[in-house]
Amino acid sequence: MSGDDASDSTSPPNRRATTHIKTHIMKSEDEYDYLFKVVLIGDSGVGKSNLLSRFTRNEFSLDSKSTIGVEFATRTVTCDGKIIKAQIWDTAGQEKYRAITSAYYRGAVGALLVYDITRPQTFEHLERWLQELLNHSDKNIIIVGNKSDIVNMRAVSTDQAKEFAERHNISFIETSALEATNVELAFTNILSNIHSTISANKGTTIDEDIPSADDNVGKSSKIVISDQPMMGAKQKDGCAC
Amino acid sequence: MLAPTHEEEEAISTTSTPSSPPDLRAQKLKRVLQEPIVDMAQLRKLSWQGIPPELRANTWRLLLDYLPANADRRNQVLDRKREEYSATIPRYFDVDDTHRTNEEQTIYKQIQLDVPRTLPTMTLFQNQDVQQALARVLYIWGIRHPASGYVQGINDLATPFIILFLQENMNKEIRQIDPSTIPSEVLTRVEADTYWCLTKLLDGIQDNYTFAQPGIQRMMFKLSELVKRIDAPLYDHLKQQEVDFAHFSFTWMNCLLLRAFPMHLSTRIWDTYLAEVEPFSILHVYVCAAFLCHFSAELRSKDFQDMLMFLNNPPTQSWNLQQIDVLLSQAYLWKSLYENSPKHLNHR
Repeated sequence: MSGDDASDSTSPPNRRATTHIKTHIMKSEDEYDYLFKVVLIGDSGVGKSNLLSRFTRNEFSLDSKSTIGVEFATRTVTCDGKIIKAQIWDTAGQEKYRAITSAYYRGAVGALLVYDITRPQTFEHLERWLQELLNHSDKNIIIVGNKSDIVNMRAVSTDQAKEFAERHNISFIETSALEATNVELAFTNILSNIHSTISANKGTTIDEDIPSADDNVGKSSKIVISDQPMMGAKQKDGCAC
Repeated sequence: MLAPTHEEEEAISTTSTPSSPPDLRAQKLKRVLQEPIVDMAQLRKLSWQGIPPELRANTWRLLLDYLPANADRRNQVLDRKREEYSATIPRYFDVDDTHRTNEEQTIYKQIQLDVPRTLPTMTLFQNQDVQQALARVLYIWGIRHPASGYVQGINDLATPFIILFLQENMNKEIRQIDPSTIPSEVLTRVEADTYWCLTKLLDGIQDNYTFAQPGIQRMMFKLSELVKRIDAPLYDHLKQQEVDFAHFSFTWMNCLLLRAFPMHLSTRIWDTYLAEVEPFSILHVYVCAAFLCHFSAELRSKDFQDMLMFLNNPPTQSWNLQQIDVLLSQAYLWKSLYENSPKHLNHR
């Protein structure tokens, strides 16, 4: 699986036309087989926004503001001959106050759970983040130990994290958004896992009656993943005061 | 040191061209400010249309009720408040970690993470002393407001005050201030004033920052109801594209639009907010509605993704003060129309 800008190759018949989608990094991103929403979660300051910018724009910034609200960026990759558009969502790490949790997780099919290898507390909080994720459904998850370039301040050993990941049966990788180490791998790993899940489920959970509420996720696939967001947006229509 | 290249280097006070003749209003405002007892109603009225930069610092202090209307008492109050703040520093901030509760340590760490990420492209905020001052303000505020504690974004809200009071004290525009030349007594004053003004500002919107941020939830809901009423085609398009108002308006609410505009324009918006007689959070929702609807045609030609990217980084860098005036007038108009007639919001 690799980053790919040859996404204007022959379209499968079930691909729906999306006329306005553009992208910062490549043309023809309106052609894809699957759209996967993936969320970045983890404590504040672990490097979520820089992982996002490294993967989607190949950029890293030492002087970025803390994230407030939600932001996202996309990138298209190919996996087993399928064009996958990854829509990566990023939000603030100070999770307990967030009023937007449901809008953030809704429709997500994967998560990168990020900690900072120089701050043990961010690793200790993984359990809590996992719980929050599971509350919103079980997804494809990868644990990402970021800032692996800061060798002399490492406080969480690779073995320790590996052990944790194995215990929870989750993939694990160490990255450096600054040096662009393994960032590509972390994202493509989760995307291909999601793709495998979907391929494996194909034929068993097809639902032809998906309402248009489903428009933003799994756009052209018609495949229902366990937590597809059929409700939520539609439910809230209350009347005014 | 970073070169001052970013738009944030634009001083708060670079321009002054409000809707009515600015000189005349400046004179009026000056006269009001010079009265032995300031006529607050008059001050609010004049400030609503924008405050001339050279009068802004004191006007904000008065509007926020940090300074009393009575001129005789002002210096006394200022001295006392600044002392009171200074006294809290050794008590709350300059203590060993072992003397902080877990909750306090969490707040402390979060602030240490956020301070270097506050206006990071601005030279001023890369200065160690300024960062320390900001950290103290945020921490002490957080400790003394345990119902919310410090929440990310409050750091942004402190920055207009720091910039404004530094400019006042140094008598220079912010981009001309070399942070290393700021006398420590000046920074001490600026820090104390920032603390109290931030406190006053947040007093009215604390439920934006308590658990689950109910104030923000309410404002986002109200915004969506307003847009449904005001611009049905845009509302329908947002719904059809599955855009949740939380996706883009959370930041507008959490940081009072600071991140949506260059600093000198945000400051102009705040002139109006602080001049409001009613809680400014009411008008704020209408300003957000006017802002969103301003881009209606453009947004309606975009899909989910392009809309969110657009709204996360709205093209306001080239906006001028006149455009802000138009935005605020529109918000005012809608507020007069809808605020006291909720039925107008009920059906389309």
